[in-house]
Parts: sequence; C-alpha cells; structure tokens
Amino acid sequence: MIDVVWQRLDSGARSALPFVTVLLCTFFSVVAWPLPHLGAVAPPLGLIALYYWAGHRPDLFRPSMAFIIGLLNDVLHSLPLGLSALLFVGAHQLILQQRRFFTGHSFYMTWFGFSLVIVIVMLLEWLAICLLRWQGLPFFPVLMQMMLAIVIFPLPCWLLIRLQRNVLSAG
Amino acid sequence: MAVRSRSSRWVFVNTLSWRMVSHRFSFVLFIMLACAMLVFGRVQPVMVEGARTHAIDTMAPLLDAIARPMTAAENAIGNVKSYFALRVENEKLRASNMQLQQWQNAVVTLQNQNRELQNLLHFKTEPGMAYISARVIADTGGPFVRGLIVTAGKLDGVREGMAAMTGDGLIGRVIEAGDWSSRILLITDLNSRIPVTVMGSGDRAILAGDNSAQPKLMYLPQDSVLTAGARVVTSGHGGIFPPDLPVGAVVETARGAYSLMPLADLGRINYVRLVDFNLKGGAFNPIATKIQSENKKR
Repeated sequence: MIDVVWQRLDSGARSALPFVTVLLCTFFSVVAWPLPHLGAVAPPLGLIALYYWAGHRPDLFRPSMAFIIGLLNDVLHSLPLGLSALLFVGAHQLILQQRRFFTGHSFYMTWFGFSLVIVIVMLLEWLAICLLRWQGLPFFPVLMQMMLAIVIFPLPCWLLIRLQRNVLSAG
Repeated sequence: MAVRSRSSRWVFVNTLSWRMVSHRFSFVLFIMLACAMLVFGRVQPVMVEGARTHAIDTMAPLLDAIARPMTAAENAIGNVKSYFALRVENEKLRASNMQLQQWQNAVVTLQNQNRELQNLLHFKTEPGMAYISARVIADTGGPFVRGLIVTAGKLDGVREGMAAMTGDGLIGRVIEAGDWSSRILLITDLNSRIPVTVMGSGDRAILAGDNSAQPKLMYLPQDSVLTAGARVVTSGHGGIFPPDLPVGAVVETARGAYSLMPLADLGRINYVRLVDFNLKGGAFNPIATKIQSENKKR
C-alpha cells in the first residue's frame, strides 16, 4: 500500500516537472540579476521552457498550463492582464501544430522553430501594447530581447534535455 | 476476430477524435478567457491592479529566495574587486575625508546661522523626512515597462506615491504597495511624469520617461537655454515629491531639446530608500507616527 502511494507521488512529481520548470524559468527572468542593464532586455526564459515542453512533452504541458504561465508573466512584468496568457496559449497551439517540423529533425530545426515562435510572439506583444496604449513604443529593446533569447536558446535547451533524460525518461 | 479488430479500431478512432475535440475546446476556451481578462482589465483597472499587487505580495518570498543568491554573488564579486583596489581606494578616501571635514565645518557654521535667521523671522520649518530601506528582489522591466519590486510594504510604512531613491538621487516612485512588497515605477518609464526644476536657471519642466535611458525634459519655457550638465532637482509642485531631491543632469539632445541623465545608475540597483516626506502621521504611516512620538518624548 505504501509502495503504491510512493509510486503515485513519484509519478505525479515527474509529471509536474515541465510545469515547475516553466514556472521557475518565468521567475528567474524577473529576478534582479547581478548583470547591469539586463532588466530591459532580459530573455524570456519562461517562453524558452514553454517551447521546449510543448514540443517534446505536450501530454505533460497542456494549454491550461500555458495560460497560467502567461498570467504569471503578465503579473510579474506589469503587462495588461491576459495579454501574455493569450500569446502563450496561441504559441502553444502553434508549436503543437508544427511539432513534427520543430522537433522531429535536427537541433538546428528546433532552434529555427524557436526563433520563429519568439519573433511572432514578441512582434504581436509589441503591436498589442502599442495599440492598447495608443502610442508607438520603441522597437529596439524588443529586437534586443528577441536576439538575446535566440542566442542563449541552446543553453537552457541543453539543461532541459538533460532534465528530461534524467528525470522523465528514468521514470 | 474481425469483429473485435473493427470494434477496437472504432474505440481508438473515437478516443482520438474526442481528444482532438477536447483539445480544440480547451484552446478556444483559454483564448476567450484571456480576451475577457484583457477587456476586464480595461474596464476595471483598479480592481486588476489590486489583484496584481496581492499576487506579487504572495510571490514576494519566492522571488526573495531566488534573488538572495544573486545578491550574495554580486556582493562577493564586489568584495574581491574592492580587495584588489584597496590601496587606490584608501588614498581616494583620505583625500575625500579631508575635503569632507572642510565641508563639515562650513555646514555647521551655516546651520547655526540658518537657525538664528529662522528664529528671527519666525520661519515655519518643513517637516523632516523618514527613510525606509528596501532590497530589490525583481526587475520587472522588459522592453515595455521600467519597474522594480522591493521587499518593503504597507506593514513597513510604505505608501503609494512615496519617492524611491538611491544614495545618488531619485529613481522613481511607489505605484503599488502590498503588505510585504511594493512596486516602483522608474523615472525612465513611459508613464512617469515628475515636475522638476533646473538649478541655476530656475526653469521648471516636466520630466517625462520614454522607456529610454534618458527621460525627456518637457514643457520648458520657450526662451530657456539650458547648460549641459546643469543639476536637475524635484520642484515639489503638485505635492508628488518634496522639493530639491536630486534627479540628474541636463543633456542637450537636439537644438532646444533637452533630456536628463539620471544621477543614479538605474541598471544596477540593489537597495533603495523610500522617502516619506509627509510626517503628519496617522494610522496609515506607523513609522512616521513612531518618529513623531519619539520626538515628542524628547
């Protein structure tokens, strides 16, 4: 009986891993890093993790989770409530539809897929905020954030691959 | 056998189509929910901001726990750096100390003179300021917002509208105060507007953030010609901030157009001082009340 309970707890914890990693990445992207002037262009680590899990384990990372992470992103970044939630759910759907193309081939294809997703998400976010505030916002920081996210993508991706192999595959 | 195979295929296809329908349904549901939230945020901004403050307040301990190792790492790097620069730093400090001693003598003389003159004129003095120190736990800024979250809230005496400063100068103001944490809007944010005065010329202006590193000086008098590097301080108009808080120095961007270089380095802020200048006290301000009662006892 105790074994069964432990087994269930273990499998539950493993299943929660994608959501927990995306959650932590979202928190890490707002924490005051000891690097000066990073705040304005800090890469959206949460979106990187979301892309990875929606592509590799969609059974463990559902649209509802993308919605919750989006809401959290809105709260932490002082964005209009619902905007990131809308974009993250949309991105989740896009990744799911193009899953074979994004994750079925080489790592470069995965990288290219992420670049595509982040460009679409950030462009739409910039456009939506410009429209909501009825004001043209500078595009340069958005561009910098996009580029930084694309450049650093292999590092968090490598960590997530290790995590998936060691925790999820082991289970 | 054939019947069983056909039946299992039917069950498989049925499950698959049910899963697809359920997935489509959840996608549409969450998209609609997000849109509804966006609309609700536009209609009821006060309620949404209150909920946001409450949520940040709840998450503050977690953010603090994540930020602590970062701060510790930065302090450690700073300690190593300062150890290597000890000799040079020491010489600089000696020179600075000598200069400060001369200044101290001058300040004491002027303070006495000022007090005597105030007594002569029966001058009503401005209430003093109280400071609340807080640590920065999150840099909520991205490409669209310039803000910080700090570890001091209403229970520490923080109120909305308080000025946020570093040792160098003004950096912003408190826009939302939760019980344990507060949100600060930096002077560089697009929504920040602060009445300022240019020292020397005495020209008044509005310091308007535009999400760039150098906010603009707007609504200057038409004939005003400012000197680059002139000190800019808060004017105290509108009752937002007390007068004479240092903000930055004038930078000429184009002919007749000026912006401001903040005195504080907004890219690396670890600690802030929240300034309470309204020492009238009251239930909303326990720190101010405490200071007042201590003053009365004396």
